[in-house]
Amino acid sequence: MAQIAVDSSPKKKNFLRSPYMLTIALLPIILAAWWLATTVTKSVPAILLPTPESVWIAFPRVLGADGFGDQVLRTLTEIAGGFALGASVGFFLGVLLSSSSRLRAAYLPFLSALEAIPTVILAPIIIAWIGFGIEGKILQAAIACFYAVFITTLSGLGLAEPNAVALMKSLRASKWQTMVKLRIPTALPVIFGGLQLGATTAIIGAIVSEFIGATGGLGYLMLRYRSSFDTAAYWVIIFLFLVIGLVVYLTIWYIEKRFVFWRRIEVTRPDLEKQ
Amino acid sequence: MTTMTQTAPLVRVDGVTKRFGSGDKEMVALSGLNLEVREGEFLSLLGPSGCGKSTALNIMGGLLEATEGTVTFSGEQLTEPNRHIGMMFQQAVMFPWRTTLENVLLPVEIFGEKKKDFIPKAEELLEMVGIKDFRDSYPWQLSGGMQQRAALCRVLLHDPKLLLLDEPCGALDEFTRESMNQELLRLQDYAKSTAVLVTHNITEAVFMSDRVAVMSARPGRLVDIIEVPFDRPRRPDLQTTNDFIKLVAKARQMLELQ
Amino acid sequence: MTTTAPPPTPARSAPTPGPTWWERFRGGSAWIVITTVAVIIAFWEFFPQTGLVNRVLFPTFSETVAAFVQLLGGGYWWDDLAKTMSAVAIAWVIGVAFGFTMGVVLGTSPFMRQAITPYAIAVQALPKVVLAPLLIGWLGFGPESKIALAVIICFFPVWIDTMVGLALPSANEFKLMKSLKASRWQVFTKLQLPSALPMIMVGVKHALLLAFTGVIVAEILSASDGGLGKLTKEFASQLNMGLVYSVVTIVVILSITLVSIADVIERRVVFWSEESRARRK
Ligand SMILES: Nc1ncnc2c1ncn2[C@@H]1O[C@H](COP(=O)(O)OP(=O)(O)O)[C@@H](O)[C@H]1O
Ligand SMILES: [Mg+2]
Repeated sequence: MAQIAVDSSPKKKNFLRSPYMLTIALLPIILAAWWLATTVTKSVPAILLPTPESVWIAFPRVLGADGFGDQVLRTLTEIAGGFALGASVGFFLGVLLSSSSRLRAAYLPFLSALEAIPTVILAPIIIAWIGFGIEGKILQAAIACFYAVFITTLSGLGLAEPNAVALMKSLRASKWQTMVKLRIPTALPVIFGGLQLGATTAIIGAIVSEFIGATGGLGYLMLRYRSSFDTAAYWVIIFLFLVIGLVVYLTIWYIEKRFVFWRRIEVTRPDLEKQ
Repeated sequence: MTTMTQTAPLVRVDGVTKRFGSGDKEMVALSGLNLEVREGEFLSLLGPSGCGKSTALNIMGGLLEATEGTVTFSGEQLTEPNRHIGMMFQQAVMFPWRTTLENVLLPVEIFGEKKKDFIPKAEELLEMVGIKDFRDSYPWQLSGGMQQRAALCRVLLHDPKLLLLDEPCGALDEFTRESMNQELLRLQDYAKSTAVLVTHNITEAVFMSDRVAVMSARPGRLVDIIEVPFDRPRRPDLQTTNDFIKLVAKARQMLELQ
Repeated sequence: MTTTAPPPTPARSAPTPGPTWWERFRGGSAWIVITTVAVIIAFWEFFPQTGLVNRVLFPTFSETVAAFVQLLGGGYWWDDLAKTMSAVAIAWVIGVAFGFTMGVVLGTSPFMRQAITPYAIAVQALPKVVLAPLLIGWLGFGPESKIALAVIICFFPVWIDTMVGLALPSANEFKLMKSLKASRWQVFTKLQLPSALPMIMVGVKHALLLAFTGVIVAEILSASDGGLGKLTKEFASQLNMGLVYSVVTIVVILSITLVSIADVIERRVVFWSEESRARRK
């Protein structure tokens, strides 16, 4: 999937006419539409989407509930653990396969098949194997995010220009030096794209796994709220997941911006493109 | 009475200034440019990179609006692109999903005309530049020089009165560039059109042109215009004659004096 | 595409006496594949028999093959297969249409594109499966809830890839169109859309997988309507692991087949894209 990125071009002088004014203006419009649909016209059933007020009121109740912090911590651990595991294995295998065309020819078809598999189908197996505990969730999240990091690492490492490779050769650089000093830096922007995607899929893996069977965590909590028809509380956790997703996204984006500053910047001529 | 026989210029650039950005980000790309392009001539805009040559050309083509000043084309003020003006850029700009012939016929579609009526002419042009055999190939099966030749066919398809060429050979290697330049001269003569060529290559400018307009950098201004008296058609060995070398030296001096 | 020859390539050098089949086998990668597969199958067959793991949870390779044959012979899963695949197909079509429309409406003008980007990021950051239980609660256990979830999950890449793709043409390409005085519609149909098509196809392919994922998640979570997801979960809860593996294998074969078909179609439709060209080589 294409990357969507936060625009980091220099600040425009005329903020009032910038697109971000429209962004801000859209927020109250969305809230108003939500309110209209649930309160005035009642066209959306309350079991799907409660009124904005009820969600607002539910916030302190859900966040202040006994043991809520533990559930959050548990889910975050699953996500972080799964992401760390899946991304490291993906990166390691990417480097390994990129360094040998024979290994690539042998194993790439198998590993590529992973792209095509909806990994959630494995959830019942994992639960049967290792139960409802946190380890299974970590494994599920890791499997979900492995492929994105693996494939971006592998393709990114192949991006080094032939001329640059020739330069390294002329300096009699070792394979390892070429990897560390040329291939990995060249690949980083692409790998970060994979990390971004992998983080999103790790979150999905953890949640689905919790939905299917868990003894704790935010997914488990959601199912409980739903079975007591407390849709407002359910939506509070949806918003929480939105926040988690955004924080993860922005963190990776920030790290990338900070450390991959050499990333190629597209030169654009806005006056010619605008038409 | 004698002044009456002189034809009116095809293009007249009158005090054109172009500024980009505003406030403390403002930069003057072009400052008070005055220039006349005569009917049928080959004029070069010569100057260092970033001196505003492309900006000037884009304004003459109606792609950019001048901040100050006006451009007149065929006696009328020019404010938008005109179908009698054809433009070529440094990149050939070929669409990879179209064959060479389809790329050449793109303007026909845009102008809402019948493709059938233009196929013979397109083929004739392709034949003239020597890539007729590649009419059904895709641009990515062509070399850079071949792509640029196809772009030349595309721009000539509608017999433009004015050709605006923004370093059309800039991305080509030296040999391809030389033969492409010959092609350009031949076809400009054949189409009897007027041409303005942007380049930062002194030899190329002198070899191709009837007049060379030398520009200075930052803010882009016109320094002087050099008349190039050599006969046409011009052969490559012209470049080794003394007169030619003297003119090149003169242009170089003008560029360096600023 | 086969009409004319590309620029001539250097002629092949004269054939030298080739290596023997054994040298080729040693030098190639086939033996790695064969060895790996053999080791995995051997491990799969003999490890459960060592008694280190629960035999019920870890059936041997031969037991799994037997279960697979039994499942194929049973034939009762055809109905589940049909339910899953029809839900995937419907959701995919709706999701692609919806995503494409959003991409075009929000992506043609740079102003709109920028204004909408923060919301696009929010939609991307939200794990959309959180809506699964709500949708099942609202639409019930039938195909509607599966389709709804799959649509919500799969429209996104089509939307983003359309939006990003429409912005792909270079300034020079826009300049050419402008110099020809092309109308907005002409710029869209003759430049932006064809430029975006390779990327849109990627989104459409991605959407197929996501639709599959969405349907399976809904099937695993909801209980009654049937489908391959439900079948897996049922067999797993009966601890009939051989059958679980078999269903998973079917899902894997299905998805790989679907993606391969999509790949072929993609290469035909956007034959000019760099990726299609690279793969043809
Ligand atoms: N759209 C634009 N926005 C801001 N600056 C521009 C733009 N186009 C050109 N410039 C600036 O104007 C100057 C002249 O550019 P250009 O006409 O492209 O130069 P040349 O073609 O002679 O190399 C350059 O310094 C360039 O950076
Ligand atoms: Mg230029």
